[in-house]
Amino acid sequence: MNTFTLGLRNAFRNAVRSISIMFILGLSIGLCLVMLIADQAVKQKINDVKSAVGTTITIAPAGFNSFSDANNALTTSSVDKVKSLAHITNLAEVLADRLTTIGAAQPSFSRFGGDANTNAQTSLTSPVTLNTNGDNNGGIGSRIFVNGGGSLPANFSLPVPIVGTTDPTKLNSNDAILKSGAMLDGAKDSNDAMISTAMASKNNLGVGSTFTAYGQTLQVVGLFDTGNQGANSTVVVSLATLQRLTGQTGDITSAVATVDTLDNLSAATTAVKNMLGSSADVQSAQEEANNAVQPLENVASISLISLMGAVIAGGVIILLTMVMIVRERRREIGILKAIGASNSRVVLQFMSEALTLTVAGALIGVVIGVAGGNPVTNMLVSSSTTASLSSTAQTSSGGARFAGGGRFFGTRSVTGNFLQRSGNGLLNSASNVTTNIGWSILAYGLAASLLIAAIGSSFAGWMIARVKPYEVMRAE
Amino acid sequence: MIEVRDLTKTFQSGDTTVSAVRNVSFSVPEGKFVSIIGKSGSGKSTLLSLLGALDRPSKGSINIAGHDIAALGDRSLVDYRRKKIGFVFQSYNLIPNLTALENVMLPMSFNGLPSGSRLRRATELLDQVGITSDKQQRKPGKLSGGEQQRVAIARALANRPALILADEPTGNLDTETGKKIFDLLHKLSREQKTTIIVVTHDLSIAGRTDESFRLQDGKLVKAK
Ligand SMILES: Nc1ncnc2c1ncn2[C@@H]1O[C@H](COP(=O)(O)OP(=O)(O)O)[C@@H](O)[C@H]1O
Ligand SMILES: [Mg+2]
Repeated sequence: MNTFTLGLRNAFRNAVRSISIMFILGLSIGLCLVMLIADQAVKQKINDVKSAVGTTITIAPAGFNSFSDANNALTTSSVDKVKSLAHITNLAEVLADRLTTIGAAQPSFSRFGGDANTNAQTSLTSPVTLNTNGDNNGGIGSRIFVNGGGSLPANFSLPVPIVGTTDPTKLNSNDAILKSGAMLDGAKDSNDAMISTAMASKNNLGVGSTFTAYGQTLQVVGLFDTGNQGANSTVVVSLATLQRLTGQTGDITSAVATVDTLDNLSAATTAVKNMLGSSADVQSAQEEANNAVQPLENVASISLISLMGAVIAGGVIILLTMVMIVRERRREIGILKAIGASNSRVVLQFMSEALTLTVAGALIGVVIGVAGGNPVTNMLVSSSTTASLSSTAQTSSGGARFAGGGRFFGTRSVTGNFLQRSGNGLLNSASNVTTNIGWSILAYGLAASLLIAAIGSSFAGWMIARVKPYEVMRAE
Repeated sequence: MIEVRDLTKTFQSGDTTVSAVRNVSFSVPEGKFVSIIGKSGSGKSTLLSLLGALDRPSKGSINIAGHDIAALGDRSLVDYRRKKIGFVFQSYNLIPNLTALENVMLPMSFNGLPSGSRLRRATELLDQVGITSDKQQRKPGKLSGGEQQRVAIARALANRPALILADEPTGNLDTETGKKIFDLLHKLSREQKTTIIVVTHDLSIAGRTDESFRLQDGKLVKAK
């Protein structure tokens, strides 16, 4: 019988205890693997998100603490200069406003600052409806929109956002997919407009139909869909058109610049920041992506720390177990030495015992790891991205509140929605992490158990070496 | 030939020093059966542990076949224990989770003997000490004290040692069984020409050995 067989057999000498230890070790090794799986999956996702983001730079008006009319409006003339910068291949500029439905009660959409624009009305009705049950508790909408309490008027209708843009294919981060008619020409000042299919069916309109806004007649040239309820309630016209209709010649509320390559993105962002100075908030898609993957970075570091913790826990478990076993079998160790076993031989025998325990633990651990890797990763990712989702939403709407330059209540809200959506979009994609469990996990499990066995046996080995063979001469 | 010169062993426990063995000198010719008698605490076990290289003497020399084992290094001491010495203890000291057969095979595996030869010799030895083949497969817990001591004797013989050291081998056994164990040792010493040193309380046993020494407070007194 060789040393390893002896060690293996001794591992099962006290079956109940051995099996308990194997299960505890299995849990700790399983935890190691789960954390390893989570760590790998999350890091993979971080790389994916970072490499998948576009090469765009978002330009929004600066300013955080002013409701003043004059504050921080962006103008075409200042933002247009961005086009001349190196590596900027495209610049999409957006002006946003908000229309109220003619005849609808408007308890809360009086002009901010009192500069009434009675023209900001439309014949359209928003496809988004609220619960207007009259009572105070009629849903979020009533609480938001009703001044000083009271109930919503019966003929209340949500305002209709309108966006003037040089690039009608995008409603900020939402792609506007053309469903029928033609794509709007963003460069032309005309009375053409695009509405969503939802807006069209709500108002019984089609391509070629007309509606009124700002006292003018606009013609529907195309129907789009974004898959997003908020964006689908928006009317799209060209930038020049909205500037003319609102009398805001030269003003914009935001712009998106496209950079030729990802390598040039950060340099171009700096150049844009330098050019626009303090008048604008400039953020690159990369920065957005970095913000979006921040919770994932947290998950990655949590899982790495947990991984180390689990290895240490496993090591401590086997260390204490082996110390207990060596103390229990002190006499036996003395006997082995007295009948001619060398120190190293006895140590080897106990090491194979520790190894048997940990390898059995590792097998249990691999089962736990494979079963738990995916759910635990998802749990870690979703809990940390949910926490940060709500905080991102808060900052977005905080920033968005002022994004309209304080001109119109509506403008602020619209831009807010867009920013929020774009943030959530990245986050949602970032929180969709898939784990990849391969054969390498077995190798890692084995490596972890070897490491744990080595840690655990080292101290036991030292104790074994110190047992003096003459102790066996004493009566039991 | 075993030659012991001025052998001394002192233990330090706290402030007090205990001299368990003091300036002991004696010699035993090869193949002799020798007994050591003495009261409890007189140093008998300590002397055996020095002879069996379980511990190092504080002073003096032990010459076996011309080699001073007191001067050996740790590795050589392990070799010496494994190849030259067979131990029989009062409390048998078998490995509890191994069968009788496996216990006897164990020292041979330390010696690198192939498993076939180990099995053959272990069976042979157990037959020789009177352990029947069904009992050879039992673990020590399922054997009587006398049977366990027979297994221990077979284990001590496994590597064909030059010297067998038995520390009160009949101490845990009833008189009848003790006598049988002693007869077995006696028979082995005659048949195998192995030197045997046995520590005992039993004067009737001591009377039947080739030579007998008495230890008193660590000092050797020739008895016979
Ligand atoms: N490891 C030790 N440490 C301290 N004192 C010891 C040790 N071993 C033996 N002694 C002491 O040495 C003396 C002889 O002990 P021992 O050789 O066991 O006697 P015996 O076997 O004749 O009964 C006793 O007084 C005992 O207490
Ligand atoms: Mg004694």
